[in-house]
This record gives sequence, C-alpha cells and structure tokens, in this order.
Amino acid sequence: MSRIISIHSFRGGTGKSNTTANVAALLALEGRRVGVIDTDIQSPGIHVLFGLAGDAIGHSLNDYLWGRCDIGHAAHDLTAKLGEGASGRLFLIPSSIQAGEIVNVLREGYDVSLLTRGFRSLIKELALDVLMIDTHPGLNEETLFALAISHALAIILRPDQQDYEGTGVTIEVARSLDVPRMLLVINKTPQALDPAEVRARVARAYTCEVAAVLPHSDELMTLASAGIFVLRYPDHPLTALYREVAAMLVA
Amino acid sequence: MTSDQGRVLVVDDHKPNRIKISFAVKKLGHIVEAAEDGRQALEMLREQPFDLVLLDILMPELDGYQVLERMKADSALRHIPVIVISAEQELDSVVKGIELGAEDYLPKTFDLVLLRARISACLEKKRFRDQEIEYLRQVERLTEAAALVEAATFAPDGLGLESLTTRPDALGRLARVFLRMAREVHVREQRLKQQVQELRIEVDHARQRQQVSKITGTDYFRELRGKAGDLRNLLEGEE
Repeated sequence: MSRIISIHSFRGGTGKSNTTANVAALLALEGRRVGVIDTDIQSPGIHVLFGLAGDAIGHSLNDYLWGRCDIGHAAHDLTAKLGEGASGRLFLIPSSIQAGEIVNVLREGYDVSLLTRGFRSLIKELALDVLMIDTHPGLNEETLFALAISHALAIILRPDQQDYEGTGVTIEVARSLDVPRMLLVINKTPQALDPAEVRARVARAYTCEVAAVLPHSDELMTLASAGIFVLRYPDHPLTALYREVAAMLVA
Repeated sequence: MTSDQGRVLVVDDHKPNRIKISFAVKKLGHIVEAAEDGRQALEMLREQPFDLVLLDILMPELDGYQVLERMKADSALRHIPVIVISAEQELDSVVKGIELGAEDYLPKTFDLVLLRARISACLEKKRFRDQEIEYLRQVERLTEAAALVEAATFAPDGLGLESLTTRPDALGRLARVFLRMAREVHVREQRLKQQVQELRIEVDHARQRQQVSKITGTDYFRELRGKAGDLRNLLEGEE
C-alpha cells in the first residue's frame, strides 16, 4: 500500500520545499522507500536542498510530460545523501530549471492525466511506500489534482495575515475533495510568539489539526538553506518537530 | 545643618546636669534636645530623628539600662549611638552600659575637649552606618525591581530606581545598566503582546466562500471530485 502525501501552501515562500525535503528524509531514514516529485514546474527548487546541481539533472518531470522519457528515467536516487545506515531509499523527480522548459509549461500547460499514469508507474517501478508531492503554490488544475489524489495533505502557512485567507480557501477545497488526512504546519513563527498559543489559535480558526509550529530565526534560516536540516542536525529541537510532522502524515 | 553637626538628645533626670551637658553640646555646634527621664527620651526618639544620645544611667521610672535595652530591641532606634554618662567611680555601670550596646561613656565631670572627641567619633560612626543602611536599602530596592522584571509585572518608569541611578559608585552603575536592560525587556514584552494581538486570524468568510465556490464550481473540479477516491485507490495499489 502506497501513500501519497502532498505538501502545499497557498502562497509562495512559506518553506514548503524545505518541509517536503526534511519530512521525506526522515521517512526514508526510518526505512521507507520515498519518492519526492517536484510539481512546482513554474518555480522548481527542491533539488537544490537535496544537493542536486542544475547541470546534474538529466531527465526531469518535464521530459516525461513531453513524452521524451519514462518517468522512471527522471527519478534520481539520492539515498546516499541520507548517510550510512539509512535503511530506506530516497528518490527525487525534479522539474527542469531550464527557462525554455518552464516557458513551455506556462504557455501550453500539460496533460494532467499524464501525472496519474506517471505516479502509478513511479510507485510500481520504485516500489515506493510514500510519494511526496511538492506542489505549486495557489490552486491551479495541477495542484487540485495533487490534492485530489493525496491520502494526506500538509498545508504550510506562516502566522501572517497574508496567508490566512488563502489557507482557509485551500482547506475548504481539500475538504470538498475528501482528502482523508489534512494537517496544518505553521512555519517561520517568530520566536517571540508562544508556539502553544499560535497552535491553539490556528487550530480553532480553521477547525483543523496543527501538526507543528516551526520557529523562525536567522540562525535557523542559515542552517536550513545549507541542505537537509534534519540530516545535518539530527538532535536539534527543530528536527524533533519535523519528526512529529512526518509521523502524523503517515499515521 | 552642616555635615559635622548632629542632632543630640541629652537624657538626665537631674536638671543642673541636663542643662550643663546641653549647654556644652550646643557650644560644640550641635542641635540639642533634652529629656528628663527614660520614658520621655524613648518618646522623643520615636518622634524625631537623632544622631546621638547622651544617656544618664540612674533615673526614675526607666533607667539608662532599660532605655538602652529598648533602643537595641527597636529596629528603628538600634542604630543611634549612645554615650552613657556616669560618675568616675561607677566603672561597673559603664561596663554594663557598653555590654548593652552603648558606644562609649562620659564622666559626669567632663571637659569640653573630651566631649568633642567622643561626640565626633560617634557622629562619624553614625554617618557611616547611615550610608551603609541607605546602601543596603537601595540594594534591596534593586533586588525588588529584579523580582518585578522576572515576574514580568513591571513598567520601567515604575521601578523607582531613578535616584539610585544617579549614584556615582558601582551600585549606581549596576542600577543604570539594570534599568536600561529592564527598558529593553519591557519594549520586547510590549512587542510580543502586540504580535500576539496581531495573530488574530481575521478571515473574510464571504469572500472565502466566493473563492471556494469559484474553484469548486468548475467542470474540472466536479469531475476531479467524482474520481478522487478512485484515483487514490488506484495509486494506493487497490485496483
């Protein structure tokens, strides 16, 4: 039984890719076979966190959508990044960072139904336990599709008025799609705020479970931008919070 | 009152002695009050500030020893120095007076030089003691302010440290640094409160409903919703 987990936010810049990468690494460290697919074709970036250089990306999701390769050929095995002793596997299906490819998507779009076949092949070929989808912000057709096929959805938001309304819309849309499990992750929380208070207020406002309240500080930003945080700092309190998010998403 | 001048209480039931001592003390430049027995002396000590007491031992009602005992038992009076007045031959009473806390003694037949020396020494000690008491009082005020800051129930300008910060010594520096830090803590606390208030999640529900129905009302969404469960099952492996 495979599980599809989407990590989404209504607005960009919430730390969606960072959360996806860290949760994926933790699940793989626990022994799961995890695939991460970057469907944020318009502004791809998660490959950077996994230390995959742009010129090292051979085939990408774009190649599959344009019929230039099977989706399995676009999967990059990043298990080595987990370090020695990792019992699971980690694969990344990146999006192309080439400007021409991105323009193509913006101009022509792509056949969303291709994704269903692609995801199915991917799960089968790589024997995935978990397929994580790093979505494009907002609620376009591709994102709605990702939500519709997800067994679990984590919506990332910041404790910021700009994020509240869009998050509310996303939650209602996901409820309409009967997503079986939906969680909120509050990211970039100023350290001056009481996490318990933030958690309670957000949970009450949306009547939705809050998986974690992740703090923000310049120090964390510096550490987080240097790679997969949970791999570099396994004993850090932030890693413990990511671990809670991971556990709740696969529960 | 000059810095060398003190307020002196002369206590003696024998009027000629009282007048003689008062006159001599006044002549040395001090302010003098007189009491004719121990009870009156204690009343005056509780009502007015004194820097020194010249105390006769043998008196009716309350004698000098009893006055000393009561002064030493009273936290407000125990720091006022006492010189006991005794006859030359009454060495035992002098010893007992000093054991009860008197600073010094003065023979009834004294000369002015000896009186000046003993009064000056006592007043000097009293001044040092006053400074010490004031220092300890200000340290206590500072620690009370620290407790308020720790309990987060303070406003920097209500800590009552302004006079303390003008001290030129290390305690003054500590108070200035503390007050500056307390103000910074206060500003941070205020900012925190403001941020918590800003955390109020205000959503325009009508607009939100409108946006949701705009999405869920499309053919694409209706079709997607119809097959979402099947898609999940398909991808999960339950064909």
